[in-house]
Amino acid sequence: MITGVGLGKSYGDQRVLGDLDFHIEAGERVALLGLNGAGKTTLFRCLLALTDFEGELRVAGETVTPGRKEVRRKIGYVPQQAPLYDMTLTEFVAFFSALRDVAMDGPASTLAALGMPLEETGAKALNELSGGMVQKALLGLALGSGSSVLLLDEPTANLDPGARRDLFRRVREIAAETTLLFASHRLDEIELLADRVLVLHGGGLAFDGTLEELWRATDAAPRLWLSAPAHEVERVAAELRECPVVSDLRANGAGVEVDVRGDASLDLLLEVRQRGLPVTEFRTRPPSLEHVLDRLESHGDATPVDGGGG
Amino acid sequence: MTARLLAQAGVRESVRAYWFWLNAGIFVAGGLLLMLFGQVDVSLLGYRSYGRALAGLMQLALFVVPLMALLSSGAAIAGARETGALDYLLAQPVTREEVFAGKWLGVTGAVVASLVVGYGATGAVAAIKGVPALPIAMLLLFTVVLAAAFVSIGLWVSALASTRGRATSVVFTLWLAFLALGSLGLMAAFVRWGLPAGVLQVWSLVNPVEAFRLAMIALLEADPGLLGPAGAALLDNLGRVGLIAAASGSLVAWTALAYWAGRRAFTSAT
Repeated sequence: MITGVGLGKSYGDQRVLGDLDFHIEAGERVALLGLNGAGKTTLFRCLLALTDFEGELRVAGETVTPGRKEVRRKIGYVPQQAPLYDMTLTEFVAFFSALRDVAMDGPASTLAALGMPLEETGAKALNELSGGMVQKALLGLALGSGSSVLLLDEPTANLDPGARRDLFRRVREIAAETTLLFASHRLDEIELLADRVLVLHGGGLAFDGTLEELWRATDAAPRLWLSAPAHEVERVAAELRECPVVSDLRANGAGVEVDVRGDASLDLLLEVRQRGLPVTEFRTRPPSLEHVLDRLESHGDATPVDGGGG
Repeated sequence: MTARLLAQAGVRESVRAYWFWLNAGIFVAGGLLLMLFGQVDVSLLGYRSYGRALAGLMQLALFVVPLMALLSSGAAIAGARETGALDYLLAQPVTREEVFAGKWLGVTGAVVASLVVGYGATGAVAAIKGVPALPIAMLLLFTVVLAAAFVSIGLWVSALASTRGRATSVVFTLWLAFLALGSLGLMAAFVRWGLPAGVLQVWSLVNPVEAFRLAMIALLEADPGLLGPAGAALLDNLGRVGLIAAASGSLVAWTALAYWAGRRAFTSAT
C-alpha cells in the first residue's frame, strides 16, 4: 500500500531523511516513532507530494510525484496543528468534501459515528470547538471521504490524556480496514494503536518491527507504576528497594515507578501482597522514548530493520 | 473548479471580516458626502460639479483601495500558513497553482464586492438626482483594476513572507511608498537629483497609484492642471486616449506581472 525505496530529503545542507526503504501492507496500522525533528513530518510531506525528494514513493498504487495532486485523493490527513478556518463545522465539512470531490454524506456519517453529528454541532464555528472535537472533525473528513490511507501527524499532541484515548479508540473502531501511518513521540500511544513500529532516528530508519520486538531489541521492558497514599509513598519505596526483583525505582508524591529485572512483574505483585504494602493501583508504563533511542543507537545492528514490513 | 471553490470560500470569509465592511462603509459615506456637496454646484454649474465629486471619490479610492487590497491579500497566504490552514489545504487534492488562483479570486472578489456596495450607494443617489451613470461606472471599473493590481502585489508579498506580521509591515510600507512616490513626492525627488523629465513621465505611468490617478482624471475630463506636470506632459505626448490606454495598460501589467511573480514564489516553495 505504501512503499518507499531509497527515500531521501535534504533542506539545504541538512539531511533530514536518508535512504529509507520501507513497505506498509494494506490495512496495517504503523506507528512512526521519533523525537521532534527526526523527520516524521517531512516523511508525511513526501507522501503527500508536498515536497520534492530523492528515491521512489508509491501510495495506493500511485507513484508520488512532487506537486501532483492525484495521490492526495487516496490519503486522508490529520495534522498536528488543528487548522483555523473562519467557518462553521458544516461549512468546513462541505468545503473540504467539495474539494475532495465527494458527497458530504460520507464525512457527515463518519462524524456521527465519532459522536459529533452535524445536526448537533454543525452550526458551531470551528474556533468554538475543543481541540479534541476539531481533531475528530478532521478525522471524520479523512475517513469519510473514501481515503484508503490515513496519515496522522501527532494528532493528539495538544489533547489531554482522556481525549487522546478517546480519539484512538474511535480510530481503532472506524478505521479498521484503513491503512494507517501515524507519527508520534509517545510510546503509550503506540501501544494503543499500532501493529508495527518504524523508528526514525538521525535521518535513518533505526527500527522496523513489532512493539514487542522493539522492547526486546532495546532491553526496554515496560515500567511498573504503583500508586500509594501520599503519606505512605516513602515507606512503600523503602520496602520495594529491598526486593531482589527491583532493579531501579523512582518515587514521587503519588506513587512509585519501578524497573524490574527480567520478566518479574508478577513476582513484584507477590512481594507487594506479602509485605502488605498500601498500593491502590498497579499498571504498566512504556519505557521512555529517549531510553529506546539510546539503546537502538548503542545496539546498532541488533535491531530487526529489514524494510520488508510486517 | 477547485479555484472557484477556493474563491467562493475566500469571498465568504472576507465578507465576515471587518475590513470588508470598513471599506464599503468608507465608500458609502464618502460617496454620499461628495454627492451632497456636489449638489449645490450641480444646480449652478451642471455636470462639471460631478466631475469634482467624482474626483473626490477617486482621491478616496486612491488612498483606501490599495491599502485594503494590500492588507487583505498580504494576510491571505502568510496568515493561512501561520494558522496551519494552508498546510491542511495543500494536503488535499489541490495544486499550489489552484490555491494561488483561488486566493487571488477570493480576495479580489471580496474587494470588488465591497466597492460595489460602496459605489452602488453613491450611484443610487446620483441616479435619483439625474446624474449620468457612465462616469461612476467607469470609476468603479478602474477602481476594480486598481484593486486587482494591488491584490496581486499583496499576494506576491504574502507568498514570500514567513509570517502575517511581516507581510503586513511590508505591504504597509509599499502602500506608503507608492503614495509618497506620487506626483509631488516624485517632483521633489527629481528636482533634488536633477533627473530627466522623461524618467518622471515613465515613473508616473509605472507607479500604479499614479497610473490610476492619471487615467481617471483624463477619463473624467477634469482640469488638466490636476494631472500635475508629468501628467500634463504625458497628455501632450500621448493625447487623452493614449494616456488612458497607457495608464490602464500599466495597471493591467502590474496585475499580471505581480500575479505571475507571486504564483512563481508560491509554487516553488517546496
